[in-house]
Order: sequence, then C-alpha cells, then structure tokens
Amino acid sequence: MKSLKKEHVHTALVYLYLIIVSILILMPLAMTLFRAIFTQSEEGKLAISIEPYFTISEGFWDKMQVSISISLVTVALTTAISLPVAYGIVKYDFRGKKLIFTLLNGVWYVPGITYGLSLVLAYYFVYKFLLGFWGFVAAYSTGFMLLSLLTQIVAFRNFDPVFEEAARCLGAGRLQTFLRVTLPLIGPGITAGVILVLVLSLNEFITALLISGPTRIKTAPLQVFTDIRHAGVRPFVAAEATILQLVSLAIVIVYLKFFGTKYLRGSIMI
Amino acid sequence: MTLPGLLIQIFFFFIPLSMLFIMSFTLKDSFFFTPIFTAENYLRLFRIYRIDLQNTFFLTSVAATLDILLGYPFAYFMVRKVKRLADVFRAILIIPLFGELYIAYGLLYLILPGGPVANLLETLGIPALEALYSLPTTILALALYTLPFVVYNIGVSLQGIERSYEEAARCLGASPTQAFLRITLPLSLPGVVTGWLTSFGWNLGAYAIPILLGGPIIGTRVISNQIWTTSLVVSDFGMGSALGVIVVLITMSIFYIVTRLSRGVLV
Repeated sequence: MKSLKKEHVHTALVYLYLIIVSILILMPLAMTLFRAIFTQSEEGKLAISIEPYFTISEGFWDKMQVSISISLVTVALTTAISLPVAYGIVKYDFRGKKLIFTLLNGVWYVPGITYGLSLVLAYYFVYKFLLGFWGFVAAYSTGFMLLSLLTQIVAFRNFDPVFEEAARCLGAGRLQTFLRVTLPLIGPGITAGVILVLVLSLNEFITALLISGPTRIKTAPLQVFTDIRHAGVRPFVAAEATILQLVSLAIVIVYLKFFGTKYLRGSIMI
Repeated sequence: MTLPGLLIQIFFFFIPLSMLFIMSFTLKDSFFFTPIFTAENYLRLFRIYRIDLQNTFFLTSVAATLDILLGYPFAYFMVRKVKRLADVFRAILIIPLFGELYIAYGLLYLILPGGPVANLLETLGIPALEALYSLPTTILALALYTLPFVVYNIGVSLQGIERSYEEAARCLGASPTQAFLRITLPLSLPGVVTGWLTSFGWNLGAYAIPILLGGPIIGTRVISNQIWTTSLVVSDFGMGSALGVIVVLITMSIFYIVTRLSRGVLV
C-alpha cells in the first residue's frame, strides 16, 4: 500500500515537471496572444478587443498570401525531389551512400544568416533569373529538403517490402507498383515532411531577410520583424505575430488530429 | 534517382557557399568590381571581432547547457515514464520550431514593464528594465529555441538503451539512483553530447533573439549580427563573408561529430 502511494507521488512529480517545461515553451506564444486580444484602455483596464486586427500594417495580408504561396510551392517541390532520394537511400546499397546523405544534410547545419548571404551573392552574380518568387522557392526548397527527406526515410523504413513483392509477382511493373502500392502505403508518412516544411517555410525569417534584398519580395514574417523593430510592443504587431503563429498552430493541430504523432517520430520527435 | 536532390543542393547550396568562401578572401567590397585577393580578413578577424566571438560562444554554450539540464529529464520521462498525454507533450515541442522571432517577441512582452514577470521581479526587488535587455533573458530564449533538438537527441539515445541492462543492475542490488547513474546516464552520453552540440550550432546563427532581447550591448555584439552589419550595412563584404565562413566551419565540424556519434541512426 505504501509503495503504491509512493509510485503515485512519483508519477505526479514526473507530470508536474513536464507541464512546467511545457509552460515555459508555451509562454511566449501565450503572451503574444494575450496582448493581441486584451488591450489596455486609458484608465489602465484590460478589455477584450479585436481592434488590433484591423490596424495591422497595410499590405500584411498581401504578404501573407505571398508567404503561403511560396510555402505551398516549396512543399510540392521538396516532396517531389526528396521522395526518390529517400527511396534510393532505403532500398539500395550503393557506394558513397553515406557521403551523399551527408552532402544533402549540409545545408541544415549552415546558419540561416550565412546561407542567406551566400544566396545573395549567387543571385546577384549567377542566377539573375531567380530574382523574385522563385528565388525564395529555390532557397527554401534547398534549405528544408532535409526535413522532408528524414521523414520519408522513416516512412520507407517502416514499410514492409512484402506488398511490393506481391504486386511484382502478380505482374505489375516497377512504376505501377510504386504508384499503386508503395505510394498509398507510405503516403501518411510523407505528410509528416509536408507539414514540417510547410510550417517552417511559412515562418522562415533570417534567410528571407537577406534574400528579400535581391528578390524584392517581402514575406509576412519579415513584416512582423520590421514592425517589431519600428513599432515595438504595440497591439497591432502582436496581432500580426499571432496570426502567423495561429496559422502554423492550426496546420499542426489539424495534422495531428488526422495522423497523430506516429509519422513524425524518428525524424524530429522521439 | 538521387540526382534532382543532389543538383538542387549543388546549385543552391554548394555553389553559393563556394562563392562566399572566395569572397572571404577579397578586400572589402572589391569582389563586386575587380577582386583584390588577400588573406587579411582572416588575419584581422580574430582581433576585431574577439568580443563578438566570445559573447556568442558564451551565450550559446550556456544556453546549450541549460538545454541539457531542462531537456534530459524531459526526454527521460517521455521515453520511460509517460504514457498518457505523451502526444500532447510531443506536439508542444513543435512550437519552438516556428522560429526564434516569436520566442523573442513573446518574452519581450513577458518582461516588459506591466507584464506578469515584470511585476514578479519588482516584488522581488529586481528592476524589470534591467531584466529586459539582459543576459539571462537572452539565454532563456536561446535555450527555449533549441530545446526540441536536445530532447530529440537525448530521447533517441535513451530509446537505444536496452532496459534489461538497468534491470540487471537492479537485480544485482543497485538502487534505482545507482542504476541510473552507473548504467543509463553513461550509455546516454552520446545523446547528451549530440544534443549539446546541435543546440550550440543552431544558436550560433540566432539573429532575432539577441537583437530583440539582448539590447544594444549584448544584442549587437554577436557574430550573426556582425555578419549582417559588416556585409550589408558597412559593405565590407570580404570581412562579413569571412565571419560567415568561420561560423560555417564551426557548425560543419559539429555536424561531423554529431553524425559520427549518432552512428548512422538513419543511413
């Protein structure tokens, strides 16, 4: 009886710790949200108001649109490009596999500021045709490919090749097997990468800050940063930051509702 | 099959990075006109930017250590103890991935005069304005930013430890604490090291957190901000890219150690 009680106390403490750390993580988001909803009146009283959402910077919604379209194109491109890579890495053993994987990984470990600076150079000197929308897509697709690749590798790992073999035995071609058997089965696994690339590219800030010079495109997070620097802690800035975070959060929550955390594990989650 | 993937990395990562490398050997902004090649940037770099390098390494290493202290129990509980609500905690760990900008901004509100923490600090006798642009706030923000990576790295290494080792130790008379300290902890050390290094490497490039929370003293004297100022404000592109190259060299060696230590979890 006594040990059972001790166990309960243990479990309670474990959860208490996890909750405290979670609160630490959620704190900045909660605070921004709070400030974007409750506005201080002149007498110093807090009142709920949606006014900040109508006073956000002019053009913020246009930038949001630009951000979303960049993200969507990026997601499509990264998924298409990394899918064959992941398939090859899991299915075949070839020389230099480790090397190729390492080369593909490299960009993830280069800080955004350095990566952005090197892209500015490349865009000015070599890829002049990319000064615009596609400049962003190229940068994001390169930078976030690893995330999509990792989740796809995990998906292919968990996939039983028996199904493929059965399809092949029954006379399906290689491509047919891939399209009709493999893809539907690993589909949910691929969505994990889709969601990560979508959310991260929507919020990418430092690389965007650098390449917004040559490409002359400003994304929504850049607008938030500019407004923070210029207007500081005004309610409308909080509203902008909230909009971006809530959109990201909504994407994540909808995803988790459908698929749970199963497919994200092994790539960025334990 | 890996060709499209490799090509995009070559065109938009290796070529730009090589250009940056070449530019780091040119004088000021001469790269854009007639390049004057020199190694002077690297020779002067450590003298001019010593304080910035020191600041950055101090901030990032303290933040990484704080991450280990916060993240180890988190990962351990997630792997070993928690069943209910585990998905909720996992989901919460995605939020820092939204970006450093929001973390910095949220903390700004928290500590600003009138905010909840500001009131608490005032009652404790600490002026809130001093906490606003201070080292502890910046470090906390950096730590929160990279916490998911640390939890992930430690979690993966904990998952790789056979539970029977611990059970064997317990059977042989070790107390739970002893079993943890002698068996589990040493076996999970690679995860601790990779977690620390990943956090360190990521925070080297943090830009918004130091600038928004560090204030004029700490915030502007970190490498990421100097790369920006030196190259795009002062137009000393040679020096700016030399700083960039130094950062890349550090993060790349970290990446190398991490892949060696994690012993090909994925490939």
